[in-house]
Amino acid sequence: MAKEIINNIKLGVFVLASLFIIILLLYMIGRNRNLFGSNYILKATFENIQGLKAGNNVRFAGIDVGTVKKIEIKNDTLIEVIMIIDKKVKNIIRKNAIVSIGTDGLVGNKVVNIIAVKKEGEIAKSGDFLPTKRPIDTDDMIKILQKTNTDASVVAENLKYTTTQINQSNIVWSILRDTLLYKSLQKSIMNIHLITENANETVADIKKIITNVKNGKGTLGSIVSDTTIASNLNKAIDQIHSVGKTTDTLIHNINKISLEINSKIENGNNIIQSLLQDSMIPIRFNNSLKNIESASNGLNQNMEALKHNFLFRTYFKKIEKRKSTEDKNK
Amino acid sequence: MAQAIIIKRFLDELGDMSRFSSRFFIEWFKPRYEIAEFFKQCYIIGYKSLPLIGLTGFIMGLVLTMQLRPSMVDYGVESQLPAIVGIAIVREIGPVITALIFAGKIGSSIGAELGSMKVTEQIDAMEVSGTNPYKYLVVSRVLATTFMLPVLAILSDGISLYGSYLGVNIKGETSSLLFWTQVTNSLEFYDVLPAFIKTYFFGFAVGMIGCYKGYNSSKGTEGVGHSANSAVVVSSVTIFILDLLAVQVTDLLGFN
Repeated sequence: MAKEIINNIKLGVFVLASLFIIILLLYMIGRNRNLFGSNYILKATFENIQGLKAGNNVRFAGIDVGTVKKIEIKNDTLIEVIMIIDKKVKNIIRKNAIVSIGTDGLVGNKVVNIIAVKKEGEIAKSGDFLPTKRPIDTDDMIKILQKTNTDASVVAENLKYTTTQINQSNIVWSILRDTLLYKSLQKSIMNIHLITENANETVADIKKIITNVKNGKGTLGSIVSDTTIASNLNKAIDQIHSVGKTTDTLIHNINKISLEINSKIENGNNIIQSLLQDSMIPIRFNNSLKNIESASNGLNQNMEALKHNFLFRTYFKKIEKRKSTEDKNK
Repeated sequence: MAQAIIIKRFLDELGDMSRFSSRFFIEWFKPRYEIAEFFKQCYIIGYKSLPLIGLTGFIMGLVLTMQLRPSMVDYGVESQLPAIVGIAIVREIGPVITALIFAGKIGSSIGAELGSMKVTEQIDAMEVSGTNPYKYLVVSRVLATTFMLPVLAILSDGISLYGSYLGVNIKGETSSLLFWTQVTNSLEFYDVLPAFIKTYFFGFAVGMIGCYKGYNSSKGTEGVGHSANSAVVVSSVTIFILDLLAVQVTDLLGFN
């Protein structure tokens, strides 16, 4: 009899253990589905819920806070989603939080995301409707991706063509293999650098000059800025023109004279020929000129002496007086 | 002609079995309940089967996890291993494997026990002495199997999941909290409850077929062996048929 009791106790423990396991399992599943504990209800309306089902998770800032309880079709463009939310977040979710439908991973279940906005708002109460955002449609996404793919394939094709062209071209390869090229390139770049520096300086100078010209400084500036110079230049050019003409006639006359002289010389005019051909004449001529000079000097001295002579002094004084009165009158 | 005889024998046995089973429902309600015998049978059938069921369950969980891992890694969803193993064990592997092992151990023992009682005319003696042999032998055993198999199946599920947890951690690193969260997250009530309910039917079928085969055994000791053997075979096949029916019914009710 005692053995039977022990057996029954063992049996009781055995059954209790299984009961414990099944209750634990059911409780854990139930807790995930928010069947136990205190909850409240939030609502949202969508145009398209994209396969959302009752029982899908509701996430607030990425944390599971509830499940979808029910989905009701209000009319052809309005579907109401009723969510059971854990009471723990009752004082956190605000009325202006935005509800959207997303996917858990790329191919996972649909989830409802509640995202807080950074603005003040009332705390949402049970039964409140939250604003919604149009969910990203995977079909649209795939359509766009399709387009991107075709574009990418075209780009890849072009790239392929380009690379084959490059591969086939010996010039490019020789350039790539040339080890000296890099040094000469470096040098050229240095030179270019210097040139540009110089060019820079030159440009600065030019700029200076131009500003000067603009301000009317310097010769060029005065030329550019002076308006009268043009007419002056015109006049000068006219005068040069007339001078040119007179020189022309002068030269013509000189030419004539020289021709005449030439003809006379050739005809054997003795005086001129002797003048030109006699080597002594210029010396003599020179001497005569010297004599004339000294004679004129003597005459000058005589004339000065004459001025100071008492016989002629009054005459010269008279002349001076007349001159001074004429200056005064002027 | 031979085929007609086989069909006739099959239908004859099926009808006989149905009559035998319907007698259970009548006898079950009638007073003079054999409570002590029921608990004794529960102890023998349930408690004594636990080591065997626990071992097979543990190995099933571990092996299933290790076998699934390469495919899951191929698909890049290694992290979903606890979820998929949890669903497989709770929905199908746990109940069916437990029921099959149970049929092998308990179905054969009931068949042999009742068969030898029948052959040695103990059942007839019982009837003569005024004890209702059907109530004392069949009802207590069938009730015990019906109530013990679900218990065993649940324990087996728990042990299998523990084995699976170890299996996940052989090559990966998953904390027990994460493992249990993933398992329970992937499960729904309609995963657990139909699987739980169908084990009652499995238990009933195993007990009933074992009792029928033993109660109707004949031809001496040879018949005992035959009835033990056919009890196991028929109840195993019945388990699979019931499993098929169960999945159809749950699908029909929209719980899949």
